[in-house]
Amino acid sequence: MSEPLLSIRGLRAKVEGEDGEILRGVDLDLERGEVHALMGPNGSGKSTLAKVIAGHPAYEVTAGEILFEGEDVLELEPDERSRAGIFLAFQYPAEIPGVSIANFLRTAVNSRLDEGEEMDVFGFQRTLTEKMEMLKMDPGFATRYVNDGFSGGEKKRNEILQMAVLRPALGVLDETDSGLDIDALKVVARGVNRLSEADEALGVLLITHYKRILNYIQPDVVHVMMAGRIAESGGASLADKLEAEGYDWLQQPATV
Amino acid sequence: MSTMTAGPAESTLAAADFDTLAGGLTEPEAIAGARAAAWERFTALPWPTKKSEEWRYTDLTKVGFGALTPVVPAPATAEALPADVREVLGRSGERAGVVVLREGRVAHLELEPEVARSGVVLCSIRDAAERHPEVLRRALLEAQPGPAEEKLWALHLALLGGGYFLHVPRGVEMPAPIHAFHFVERAGTVSSTHSFVSGESGARVAVIDEFLSDDLEAETVSLHGATITGEGGAGIEYVALQRFGRGVKRFSTQHVAAGRDSRIVTFNVTLGGDLSRADVTSRLDGPGSSSEMLALWFGDSDQHFDHHTLQHHAAPHAHSDLLFKGALTDAGSSVFRGLIRVDKGAQLTDAYQTNRNLLLSEGSHASALPNLEIEADDVRCSHGATIGQVEDGQLFYLMSRGLTRRQAERLLVFGFFDEVLGRLPMEGVRARVREAIEEKIGL
Repeated sequence: MSEPLLSIRGLRAKVEGEDGEILRGVDLDLERGEVHALMGPNGSGKSTLAKVIAGHPAYEVTAGEILFEGEDVLELEPDERSRAGIFLAFQYPAEIPGVSIANFLRTAVNSRLDEGEEMDVFGFQRTLTEKMEMLKMDPGFATRYVNDGFSGGEKKRNEILQMAVLRPALGVLDETDSGLDIDALKVVARGVNRLSEADEALGVLLITHYKRILNYIQPDVVHVMMAGRIAESGGASLADKLEAEGYDWLQQPATV
Repeated sequence: MSTMTAGPAESTLAAADFDTLAGGLTEPEAIAGARAAAWERFTALPWPTKKSEEWRYTDLTKVGFGALTPVVPAPATAEALPADVREVLGRSGERAGVVVLREGRVAHLELEPEVARSGVVLCSIRDAAERHPEVLRRALLEAQPGPAEEKLWALHLALLGGGYFLHVPRGVEMPAPIHAFHFVERAGTVSSTHSFVSGESGARVAVIDEFLSDDLEAETVSLHGATITGEGGAGIEYVALQRFGRGVKRFSTQHVAAGRDSRIVTFNVTLGGDLSRADVTSRLDGPGSSSEMLALWFGDSDQHFDHHTLQHHAAPHAHSDLLFKGALTDAGSSVFRGLIRVDKGAQLTDAYQTNRNLLLSEGSHASALPNLEIEADDVRCSHGATIGQVEDGQLFYLMSRGLTRRQAERLLVFGFFDEVLGRLPMEGVRARVREAIEEKIGL
């Protein structure tokens, strides 16, 4: 297999029913096993890109394509993309009162089984316990309602827990580091690293404002997004330069 | 207000039927007399029409009472239990006793010997009429239905050939629930069943009444009545779990009388049948009494569920709290019509009433009509109702984890229901209700 894990070509998108494109021709290739950091100022379109990859219904793709493992996913529903192996760790995860994390994850794991295939209930429980330990979560956490009354840190940890249980091929982490104190950040980063170690083919697109998390998760490639396009790509040192010099040195890309 | 019209039933639900039925039975005089009187009352009363507030959303003229065969079944033979009942009984879960009724007639009954030794009585109503006539008479007298329910209540009593009687004496706390199965198997009939539950001072008891049938080809009507009485400080938990098959139209009239410092929980779960109507009245008779009224329903296809409630505060210092939640999909429809009535002398009443509805489809429809009628001046009462849909943000979140739209919606319904389930005190009861709901909703 030579095609990249994720290949985005000329992607343009806007909020459904509104004028004005937020993504204005994004090109990005992410190979299996790579960690890419996506940085950029507020409003540059980073989170929109994450949601469009996951299939958020509020956005309309006007041009371009998203190939995942060589297949165009734009026509797929969000659940189909998830089952295909795409995972989005939300910046603002939804609260689902009345539904426990265990019940939610059990249903999600079930949705991946073929018709007639039986779920290994004990295996699921073991996996859940193990992943919760890895993320230093209290065992009682599984019985709590999904994100209901969670602190910011708990919500982010819960996102990584779901990623750990669902084992996607691609994890898109949308500002998973924001709102975390340094200890929580280390736990979350270690969780992501452990997932990368366990699955060498795992691709990660790490969207962040700050270089801080890149001290704990080593990126292979750093992209900078400006005004809806990738303005610059480089190695890990690009993040240092951004931290030192900000974004001003980057040319606003000319609109085509 | 009911209006005089000739319903379809009079034509064929004739006195001759009743006489044939009654003649075929050997029953205690108390019951025979009560049934004859109820039959007279039934024939004298007009059918309620859609012009009355209480029946505005459920058209009784569309129920073909006239074409149905009234059934007061003969005494049961030692037939095998229905497979569905055996299946539920086969699952784990502690029970203090089991009653199986076919078309209202007790077909099987068992009570843990230790519970029986503590003085708990579990028997058919016909046996109770001989052994505990006073308790029975008082309870049936207490259960005075409002004008809108009178007609069907009279038919319920007239056709009543069985039902069960559960009495828990002073201070006896039952360790596990009594599980009753009301099974309907004869299509094209109208039959009647009754649940009688009473607890003396300090008694504790939990009951699951499960209503079931196969999918029936012909229209079939099941009438049910419940009288639930708690004396001083009694604690009663009563669950009516309706999971009839298609073809069944069900009418249930439930009366709760809460004595001083008693705490009574009723929980109606409506899942099955074509049409299901429940009239639930809680009368707070004693100071310090408390009534919690809960309900959940999930309607799909073209099911129609109609719930009418009355929280009647007759005594001061009492508390009632109603929480009814329903979810609908396809062309399902539901009605909630609730009234809090506070009598003049019922000062320091605390009464709440909440109805929430979740619509999953364009074609589903819910009506909510909460109401207050307060004559006392020092009370705390509130009521509210909402009708809404699932939130897009929640739906996307769940779908982004691989759940199909249908799975995501259904999981959100579970979440929506959880608040009500959590208010059932006994874990065994909660587990059975959750299981039945899961079966209906599917995931």
